[in-house]
Amino acid sequence: MYYPEPIAKLIEGFTRLPGIGPKTATRLAFHVLNMKEEDVVEIAKALVNAKRKLLYCSHCQNITDVDPCYICSDKTRDKSCICVVQDPKDLIAMERTREFHGQYHVLHGAISPMDGIGPEDIRLPELIKRLNDEQVTEIILATNPNIEGEATAMYISRLVKPIGIKVTRIAHGLPVGGDLEYADEVTLTKALEGRREI
Amino acid sequence: MFLKELEIKQYRNYSYQNLFFTKPITLFLGQNAQGKTNLMESIYVLAMTKSHRSTKNKEWIAWEEQYSWIKGQIERKRGPLRLEIQLTEKGKKAKINGLEQKKLSDYIGALNIVMFAPEDLSIVKGSPQQRRRFLDMELGQISPMYLHHLAQYQKVTSQRNQWLKESTKNKGFADLLEILNLQMAELAIRLTVKRLEFLVKMEKWAGEIHQNITQGREHLTIKYQPSFQIDPNASFDDLTEAYLVQLAKLKEREISRGTSLLGPHRDDFHFYINQNNVQQFGSQGQQRTAALSLKLAEIQLIYEEVGEYPILLLDDVLSELDASRQTHLLDAIKDKVQTFVTATGVEGLKHQTIEEASVFRIHAGEATQEK
Repeated sequence: MYYPEPIAKLIEGFTRLPGIGPKTATRLAFHVLNMKEEDVVEIAKALVNAKRKLLYCSHCQNITDVDPCYICSDKTRDKSCICVVQDPKDLIAMERTREFHGQYHVLHGAISPMDGIGPEDIRLPELIKRLNDEQVTEIILATNPNIEGEATAMYISRLVKPIGIKVTRIAHGLPVGGDLEYADEVTLTKALEGRREI
Repeated sequence: MFLKELEIKQYRNYSYQNLFFTKPITLFLGQNAQGKTNLMESIYVLAMTKSHRSTKNKEWIAWEEQYSWIKGQIERKRGPLRLEIQLTEKGKKAKINGLEQKKLSDYIGALNIVMFAPEDLSIVKGSPQQRRRFLDMELGQISPMYLHHLAQYQKVTSQRNQWLKESTKNKGFADLLEILNLQMAELAIRLTVKRLEFLVKMEKWAGEIHQNITQGREHLTIKYQPSFQIDPNASFDDLTEAYLVQLAKLKEREISRGTSLLGPHRDDFHFYINQNNVQQFGSQGQQRTAALSLKLAEIQLIYEEVGEYPILLLDDVLSELDASRQTHLLDAIKDKVQTFVTATGVEGLKHQTIEEASVFRIHAGEATQEK
């Protein structure tokens, strides 16, 4: 190592983040050296706080700083409908639509034997408990449209249908506002399969 | 389609070449290890963005150079196209008419190519794996959905294999296997149906071609041996049901072996001449003719799908065929298919089309036009 230890450690720290290689890490580290001290302290605090103060909502399993989270404690939201998503980023994406006014459940993953993730390793038991305890009439499965997401959706639907709750799966197909000619063949074929009468 | 001009820079043992093609047949003549196959490969790479030989892109770039490129001027029915492949150690870029194509699937298909090289004999002689690879490559060229389903199938199979390996440890999630079975069944049936359709078409064309080459003496048939038999009259739901029943029967064995035992990953197909298995009982010549018929059938298939004949590359195979087979091959492609042929000499190549061909002499990484 040619750098003094404090900066070498900082560079090494940055390289642990996704998408950051040694060059970017070096650039970031030297940028930190030129920053005002209070800004650096603020970032350092934010890093630690994000890790320490965030917890999982005991209800929907989303990450939150208060328990229950702001969505679960919102009295105006529809308690009878739960949208099941794979991770917190998916929940935010659904929230941005402003069209869904029900509850959520975050699984934190999808079933994938290759990665050693079985049904018990995601927040599925918590979902089943909620379905038994609460007055839920519909769950919407919004897991990703890939092999693992589909398997998870199918698995949940098998568990939940016998309870007598309506289970729906979000549609997949063409993006809105896009041109048909730019859609790839696979998406277009899926859209064709999922066509509906108007 | 017609390749009018080929320009290569720092490609394998060539430093720079600019070649123009006007005749339907072009001959590359030269001693061994002078660069005949490299030239053929450059045309193949221009079409497919990958080589039929090595998988390492780095090997394409000439020794001690940083980059390489291949450019081609193509004449197609709907007009001319300028294709370009840039190769660096970091990767490759493909351009059509100067515009970079980010998705390779947008590029592949601009130039269709069929290559027949000595290693293609492995389709007849080689392992089932090599025959499945042939199926996947050819079907992938004409059906993007097939490629998509294949990738998904491979994923489901690996998930399933993992489950089977660990099933003795985690007995709790028996129902997860049912889900994986369902996902696998749907994809497996789609792939098997596509392969069946493809092989039926190939058999029809390859059979006709083979009959012509052998002057009616030999009758070529292709027998598909799918791991899961498809009843053409059954509905998709019935097939799924049948697939799941077979999986249920195999369950114990699959668990003890820790791997999936039913599906397209265990398919095979065989060639028969007059009811005899070519792989087991065929002579060298018969095996070669069967492979050749299959390749020529491929030309027909591309013509049907694309509406234009592809370009044919014959690497070191023409001289391996006897006079009558050569004649039939050259008659079949005459006036229709632009063809590039490599050989060490013109001796043994007797056909009018060869005499009319343009000839390039290849020596130590340089090509000079003789005719």
